Amino acid sequence: MTLKGGATSACAACKYQRRKCIPECLLAPYFPADQTKVFQNAHKLFGVSNIVKILRSLDPSQHAEAMRSIKYQANVRDRFPVYGCLGVIRQLYYQIQMLEEEMHTVLTQLEMYRQHHHHQQQQQQHQHQHQISSMADDVISQLELGMASSNNALPLFNQVTHQPYTMQNTYSSSDIDSPPKDNVENNSLWIQHLFFDTNNHGTSNNDSPIAIQSQLLVPNSEPLADTQHQVVQDYDEIHPFFDSIDDRQSYIDTKDAEDSSSSEESLKETTQLMVGNVGSKDLKSAAACFSLASVN
Amino acid sequence: MSSSSYSSSPCAACKFLRRKCMPDCIFAPYFPPEEPQKFANVHKIFGASNVSKLLNEVPTFQREDAVNSLAYEAEARLKDPVYGCVGAISVLQRQVITLQRELDATNANLFRYAYNEMPPLRPPPPPPPSAAGQSSGFYYPYQWNDPSDEDNERSSGGNM
Repeated sequence: MTLKGGATSACAACKYQRRKCIPECLLAPYFPADQTKVFQNAHKLFGVSNIVKILRSLDPSQHAEAMRSIKYQANVRDRFPVYGCLGVIRQLYYQIQMLEEEMHTVLTQLEMYRQHHHHQQQQQQHQHQHQISSMADDVISQLELGMASSNNALPLFNQVTHQPYTMQNTYSSSDIDSPPKDNVENNSLWIQHLFFDTNNHGTSNNDSPIAIQSQLLVPNSEPLADTQHQVVQDYDEIHPFFDSIDDRQSYIDTKDAEDSSSSEESLKETTQLMVGNVGSKDLKSAAACFSLASVN
Repeated sequence: MSSSSYSSSPCAACKFLRRKCMPDCIFAPYFPPEEPQKFANVHKIFGASNVSKLLNEVPTFQREDAVNSLAYEAEARLKDPVYGCVGAISVLQRQVITLQRELDATNANLFRYAYNEMPPLRPPPPPPPSAAGQSSGFYYPYQWNDPSDEDNERSSGGNM
């Protein structure tokens, strides 16, 4: 279209219609002269009159957005003549469906891993708590027993050799005669042996409390708990006996009753205390010693 | 022309246009008289002549789909004169982008969990709507370049 007086070139719409592009042309801002194909697509689908009708039904502030959508719709229809924008929408719906399905699959797998991880953590926590509780019980028993001194052990209890620390082999690899598991009383004696033995060795072996712990870790914890209580009770009874028997240890072993300076009453008390902790065979031998001593 | 032997009722298009519905009427198979609103919408937005030209360019077996898509677009444009069916496209495209990002993050999480045995991270929050770069916030998924034009449509401010 020819221009007059240096006026701006006609828009693509006016150029197509072969008419003068007036300044008030509604389509001029949206169809510049160099975008003829865009206008052709829009004109092919909507038509100029219909586009102008749509623009006139809207507020001027909405014209730009409306023209963008119109041009987009026309271009898509040119690209896809049969389905147009509906084809694009269907494609997007399908994409969304595929993504949601994939997300569901991934989340399911993630949940499986989470549960597995949580289960493993619970198992580890349970094992850790079990270890802590057994150690705590051992510490408590030590405190209640109150044996921190490096008192020399009695020969009676000194026959036990020190056992190295083994968690798993409390009974199987022990050098000490393993106590019968059914006899709780013997278990208590056996535990006392171990305790005194480790005390005899003093603090040279840092694993002594652990050794005690290892010995206390019997397969059945309930009998052990009863045994520990029994140890406490027995030990309370034994404690004054140890204090009084220090001077008399050699007396019992060597049968040198004549050298002893203690009275018969104290000996009787000693024998009474010993009866509660010593077997019947030992009692008889001790009684024999006393009888010989009393004769002389 | 005698209309007495003419038994078939006119199609919705011919009824709307108040013209005789010929046997070879291009609209008749796709605009039955029981659906008058369908043609009315299409005619209001696109115009009968434009629809006729479009149908003539499409193979016969695809004309029904073409008519249905035009009917859908016309109805959408009547409901939303500014954006029409393009509004739905923009919403769906954003949804696709968001889902894709979430899926990527979840896959990364799964990978970390499976191979490193570390607790999974939370997926990142969706990006702000301004990522589309449009003043209206609408996203146009298909970029259309005019092959005959030197300038792309970016000069007109469109992502098209």
